[in-house]
Amino acid sequence: MLRASTQVSGESVNLNGIVEGNEVQTGLRGGEALIRFAEASVGNSVDDKADGIRVAREAVKDELGENSMVDAAGVIANFQRMVRIADGTGIPLDTPVAMMTSSIREDLGINEYGSACNTPALSLPQRLLGRLLQPALPLVVKLLTRNMSKPN
Amino acid sequence: MNFNYSEAPYRIRDDIPEAHRLIWKMIAKPGNWWRGADRVAILSETRHAVHCELCKERQAALSPNSIKGEHALVTNLPAPAVDAIHRIVTDASRLTEAWLNDLYTKGMTDGKYIELLGIVVAVISIDGFHRAMGMPPEPLPEPEAGETSGLRPEGLADLGAWIEMISPLKVAERESDLYGRNKQTGNVIAAMSLVPDSVRMLKILSGVHYLDMQDVANPGANGGRSITRPQIELIAGRVSSLSDCFY
Repeated sequence: MLRASTQVSGESVNLNGIVEGNEVQTGLRGGEALIRFAEASVGNSVDDKADGIRVAREAVKDELGENSMVDAAGVIANFQRMVRIADGTGIPLDTPVAMMTSSIREDLGINEYGSACNTPALSLPQRLLGRLLQPALPLVVKLLTRNMSKPN
Repeated sequence: MNFNYSEAPYRIRDDIPEAHRLIWKMIAKPGNWWRGADRVAILSETRHAVHCELCKERQAALSPNSIKGEHALVTNLPAPAVDAIHRIVTDASRLTEAWLNDLYTKGMTDGKYIELLGIVVAVISIDGFHRAMGMPPEPLPEPEAGETSGLRPEGLADLGAWIEMISPLKVAERESDLYGRNKQTGNVIAAMSLVPDSVRMLKILSGVHYLDMQDVANPGANGGRSITRPQIELIAGRVSSLSDCFY
């Protein structure tokens, strides 16, 4: 979704920032501060990280503003939930998403994660079709998810 | 009033505490498979799991199964429930279907597991928001009396996960709010549909922490947030990667 959203916005992003962290220049405004905020906030320890979180939080506030910092805290909280739902239920990656993200996952090493085994390997035609569809990723995502999001 | 953020060091959008209050209320009520007191105990055990020495040892081990021992408890929940809570909190990326099947042999059921998972992940995200904002955790809610409903929804199917989910093709009227009236949905939305209120809690929290479902679909939408969609997705991707989450 990061790549699709930058294709829509016309920005370019270094996706390595996702796996390599704040050492990477992401190309997005405030990207490094946001990554540091996420890295400081995620984890199981409670009190010993409080100072690191405060520093990272204030850096986001200084660079992007207080409202942005609050919104970023919400996203950090949200994905600590979503990853555990996926890992706790063994859901496979949705096939269309798996097809279109095949090369990214290979490049970033995400296929090495333990929970990758919950998703069946793609067939050769699926991998080829996924590569063909990549330039149209934003449109494909929109079409695929349109039905997921319609209100009653 | 709980989740009173008026004293918080930063201005927080009103929809966030409203959602958190609603979730606290939902957790305190009897569920499909756990009573209110059990559900609040699950909340309490979720918070305690990070202090468990056994979990710390397992996290550091090459294989969590190589470390035997007893979890440090703060509740009277059954042992399989405690193990599920602690593992989901501290080592979720190494959960396996074999582990879950083993819990079933010790008295856990799929309904109880999914209801427990729904509470654990809701607490993790609400507490995670507080931690990121530098605020203390909210006190536990007072559990409501009453019996479990025993409700098992219609339309369950094997869709490739470890547990059955409601097929988008077989949604009953009672659960029609879960996916909208659609013939497809993301697996992560359907994952907890065995206990429909777990999906409802997920949607409530995602709507304020991340984006409403209708905005998720549009890669150009940011839901009126102060950060752009690419910034949102950068954070999402980094948190997922830090958690070794393939999905």
